[in-house]
Amino acid sequence: MEKTTAASSPAKQTLIGQRIKKPDAPDKATGKTRYINDMVLPQMLFGKVLFAGRPHARIVRLDTTAAEKLPGVHAVLTGKDAAGLKFGFVRDNVALKDKVRCEHDEIAAVAAETEDIARRALELIEVEYEDLPGVFTPEAGAKEGAPLIHENFPGNKSLHFEIQHGDLAAAEAGSDLIVDNVFRPHHVTHCCMGTSCAIADFDHNGKLTIWTQTQYPYNYKMDLAPALGINPGDIRVIQPPVGGAFGSKLDVYPYEPIAALLAKKTGRPVKVMYSREEEFKASPTRQAAIIHMRTGCTRDGTLTFRAADVLLDNGAYTSWGPTIPVIMMRTVSGHYRVPVVDFKAQAIYTNNPYAGSFRGYGNVQTTYATAQQMDMLADMVDMDPLAFHLKNAQKSGEVTPQKSFLRECALTECLQTAAEASDYSRKRKEYAALREQPGRYKKGIGLASSIHNAGGAKIHKSDGIGTILKMDDYARVTVITGASEIGQGIDAVITLIVAEELGVPLEHVTIVNNDSDIAPWDVGVHASRTTFIAGNGTRRAARKAKEQILRAAEKMLGEPAQGLALRGGSVVRDRDGAALIKLDRLLRQMHFQPEPELVMVTDYYEPKSEPEGAKHISDHSAAYSHAVHIAEITVDTLTGEITVDKVTVAQDVGRVINRMGLEGQIEGGIAIGLGYALSENMRIENGMLRNPGFRDYKLITAPEMPPLDLHFIESDCAEGPYGAKGISELPTIVIAPAIANALYNATGVRIFNPPMSPETVARAIHEKRQATTQAA
Amino acid sequence: MTHDNTNRVTPEISAYLAPRRLDEALQAMADGDATVLCGGTDLAPQTESGARQYKAKLLNIRRIDSLHGIEIKGGEIRIGAATTISDIRRSAALAEAAPVLTEAAGHFASEQIRNAASVGGNLCNASPAGDMSPPLLTLDAAVELACWRDGAMQTRRVALDQFFLGPGKTVKQPEELLTAVVFKQPAADFVGRFRKSGPRPALEISTVSVAFGARLVQGKLSSVRVAMGAVAPTPLRARHVEAALEGQPLNDAAIAAAVAATAQDAKPIDDVRASAWYRAHLVRVFVEEVLNDVRRD
Amino acid sequence: MSVETEIRFRLNGREVCLKVPATMKTLAMLRDKLGMTGTKYACGEGECGACTIKVDGKTVNSCLMYAVDCDGRELVTVEGLRAPDGLHPVQQAFVDHGAVQCGFCTPGMIVQAHYLLENNPGLTREEAQRGLEGNLCRCTGYTKVLDAVEAVAGKGACAGGKGACLGGRAPDAA
Repeated sequence: MEKTTAASSPAKQTLIGQRIKKPDAPDKATGKTRYINDMVLPQMLFGKVLFAGRPHARIVRLDTTAAEKLPGVHAVLTGKDAAGLKFGFVRDNVALKDKVRCEHDEIAAVAAETEDIARRALELIEVEYEDLPGVFTPEAGAKEGAPLIHENFPGNKSLHFEIQHGDLAAAEAGSDLIVDNVFRPHHVTHCCMGTSCAIADFDHNGKLTIWTQTQYPYNYKMDLAPALGINPGDIRVIQPPVGGAFGSKLDVYPYEPIAALLAKKTGRPVKVMYSREEEFKASPTRQAAIIHMRTGCTRDGTLTFRAADVLLDNGAYTSWGPTIPVIMMRTVSGHYRVPVVDFKAQAIYTNNPYAGSFRGYGNVQTTYATAQQMDMLADMVDMDPLAFHLKNAQKSGEVTPQKSFLRECALTECLQTAAEASDYSRKRKEYAALREQPGRYKKGIGLASSIHNAGGAKIHKSDGIGTILKMDDYARVTVITGASEIGQGIDAVITLIVAEELGVPLEHVTIVNNDSDIAPWDVGVHASRTTFIAGNGTRRAARKAKEQILRAAEKMLGEPAQGLALRGGSVVRDRDGAALIKLDRLLRQMHFQPEPELVMVTDYYEPKSEPEGAKHISDHSAAYSHAVHIAEITVDTLTGEITVDKVTVAQDVGRVINRMGLEGQIEGGIAIGLGYALSENMRIENGMLRNPGFRDYKLITAPEMPPLDLHFIESDCAEGPYGAKGISELPTIVIAPAIANALYNATGVRIFNPPMSPETVARAIHEKRQATTQAA
Repeated sequence: MTHDNTNRVTPEISAYLAPRRLDEALQAMADGDATVLCGGTDLAPQTESGARQYKAKLLNIRRIDSLHGIEIKGGEIRIGAATTISDIRRSAALAEAAPVLTEAAGHFASEQIRNAASVGGNLCNASPAGDMSPPLLTLDAAVELACWRDGAMQTRRVALDQFFLGPGKTVKQPEELLTAVVFKQPAADFVGRFRKSGPRPALEISTVSVAFGARLVQGKLSSVRVAMGAVAPTPLRARHVEAALEGQPLNDAAIAAAVAATAQDAKPIDDVRASAWYRAHLVRVFVEEVLNDVRRD
Repeated sequence: MSVETEIRFRLNGREVCLKVPATMKTLAMLRDKLGMTGTKYACGEGECGACTIKVDGKTVNSCLMYAVDCDGRELVTVEGLRAPDGLHPVQQAFVDHGAVQCGFCTPGMIVQAHYLLENNPGLTREEAQRGLEGNLCRCTGYTKVLDAVEAVAGKGACAGGKGACLGGRAPDAA
């Protein structure tokens, strides 16, 4: 018999905003977690892919006879085995190719008993190519008479986007000052620590089970099915733990249907896993682009218009990369109050590697331009950039030209908080005054901000999530949710919300979210949406369970349900905290009473946002958010090396849910942004990647990570769970232009073609000095 | 599956040998058909990528005691070929006698690599960007090459600036083993510096590195040695820069002359890491920097 | 096939004996031959540190180490750090301080952090940054990793080392 007393029941203490440990961390810290890369199934074969290794060519002859004869080889597939099985946004891709359009085009694939045999088999495949003239920049691809990459895409034209708002000519005429620059954001790649991997297996009813790293399990079925010629309903997606994703796993990449085609052919499970070199060459990139941007303002510092003409380097196939204008245009139209907007984007096929989605999704590239132009205009009207930003900052309730409704807008607060914490205005003046003084090392401070969707983005027909919550006789809670865990920490958020709502210990919550046959629909981990959408879904489901429990308690205890609460594993009287019955006991009583009931609820949450629509004039997210970064740097003007001394961050997070996870997302997002800003660069020359390894593709390392001063602004989003907004992309978006503006403050130099690598910076400073000397 | 190309289609390795005595190792090498393994930090990635092929025998020399250690005897410093970069970095004796080596070791790759990589391997790898080469060149170091001939061990010494022939190529014969790197204990008035490019303290293949060593007596330089990495097919002695400084007082004019002379020594190329322009620029910057640094102290 | 050699060594305190091809790396041996998948493959060329293990008390990239050279030596992997009554203090600190996100770099990071603390119990944050320069992480931005290491430093949680200091502060006698 359990005893409950008033004294044993703790007072209401919210978990919201606390520091919650990731439930999967202990197993990861001890090496116990079995990632997909670690998995081995009985009877499993190893798949290897033969890549073209040339950017554009016709396949003249392909002979797999010797490979097929090698003992231990179970299947060899080529383009004819995938013929007609087109997939991708515009159905321009196929798992195995009959023509080469980029370096990593998949020409053949082998399944064998061991990886070594598979590799030997690849060496036995004879291919004769006839190289074709290639297209390696979007400008070249757009030229009349350029080599055609896909016969059915004339002019090498892939996707096109545009929006116009207001009278551009009038706005230009009414501008006192206009900045006009061409920015050339570069190719970078995700560098997930766990390389790409898939394991596929067919059963005898024709159903495919695929173990994959996808962060997008339900759309994944839809995207994968055409590459195999099967019904999406015949695909079961299992998501074992993954070594990072960052957007790369929204795409179906050819290795996945290849694993499935090999599995189908052999009747055995087949695993395809990339080496790091293959990962560099054959996994998605961040979209490279040429952004011609103009922004105008009046002499008093009021923005008048922003126009952007964007040419995207589509690469050889159309994946998520060239869809980024959907977000780019929101920034062009919504980053500060811009009355007139003109945005055009055209993606042009090239023979380069092709882009996928990557944390920041177009906004990294766009903000690199908008945030620098804000800084330039402030300089031209001779205003402190902080004042210039404040003057043009939107307030709560404003609507952007694209109809993004900024219900709770904390941009002003973000700007003020970051500026004050970093002593921005004073330092900026001081450093600018020292700029032209002699001295090798120069200090600089730079401010940048951006806007991003923070309540999902309804780019599909749905942006919703299904949640099933059940409780057992021991008051253990299982949440069956569509929300994927890719390291970002939704597991901790869900656990926290369940514990908050149902008053159970965190350790009593189990999450099932890795099997599409079990978990309900979700639109995946992207668009900074998971805490917002899955948080709401979890909270709604938990509240339904709570209602059911309290109704039962009312019946059993004779106390009105509205006066009861769940706390500390018991039903308590809300008024005085008196514990009335242990929760597990109540659940058993509910279950085993004459009219038995189980606590087992379902919820489908669809955020109040509007579909993106073909015209892109819609309130496509349930919330929007801002972040401000202020970077302080030291520049070695001779070597061009930038040391980031400190970054001050003020971000509108709506409300802090899991403080530790939030900090971790911001710190990690900044690290990716720092790499983008300073060191990461895919050196693609004539379509061939020259640096497919960490030796020459430089991620930020521990000694390069600056101290961060994080400030969370809680704008209390009405639609968000407990007021929270989505947070994870802004940190990656804002840091690079903050550094670029700091570089200008320090040296008077601007870099339009990132990264701001030592050589690029040194050359720019050197050229500026030469020009100054010549002018003198 | 770890993408360990264990069985890449290469000539078969028919024997693995891990002798404890040098003479055994040299006898195993006598026919020139052995791949020498020590730390493996260069051998492993180079064979994985196919840049290098295994020979019939894999000969692990890491277990030969006489190849380890740092010894100062009779005014000469001798570093065994199998001595790791970590051993060099932490050697109190070297920190005292040749701090430029300690400094260079601190910029070498990462702690895990430093714990495995051997100084002999770094030199035999003959990378133009090898981190240990420039400082050793400024110390007038020589390498000891041993082989088994006519039933006995033969050794010869080759000055380090004669050792490198090109990327991955040295004067070492296939049957020879590099057993040690040796140099005279620098004089008390010897000053040395090492400068390597890159914003990271380490884990960086040099875009350019510069080492400087000289005797500095009453403000005047003598026995000047300047060495550079990654500006030519081999690490090299910058003879023109040295000439510009030899016998000169360390003043603005000498520094300017040295900087100007870099153009005659450094013949860098464009590659994935940097342009020739940037390399030539960095060499000028680093030569000026190390000389100013010496002057300041 | 390359010649196979029989080797014996201690792995996390237990004697192991097996045959390995001459060119096999220790990482492949651990993962593919011994099923010890805690040690991760992420680059295969010593640039990322995900495969860091301890050999005779010193950390190395197991992807570069020839398995044959394990003969007669003492290996410790992330699985070997776990204390009998739960997580090792370094592992616990990584959990407590949010240093684990996707966790793929975590085993190598923890082995390296353990080694640093063992050799320099009073490790500073700057020394930890340098000491972890060979361990790449794409998720955390290292901040929480350094928080975790800092939290363990000074507590003697990795005692048993030889007290040799890294970072050139108090070098061993040569």
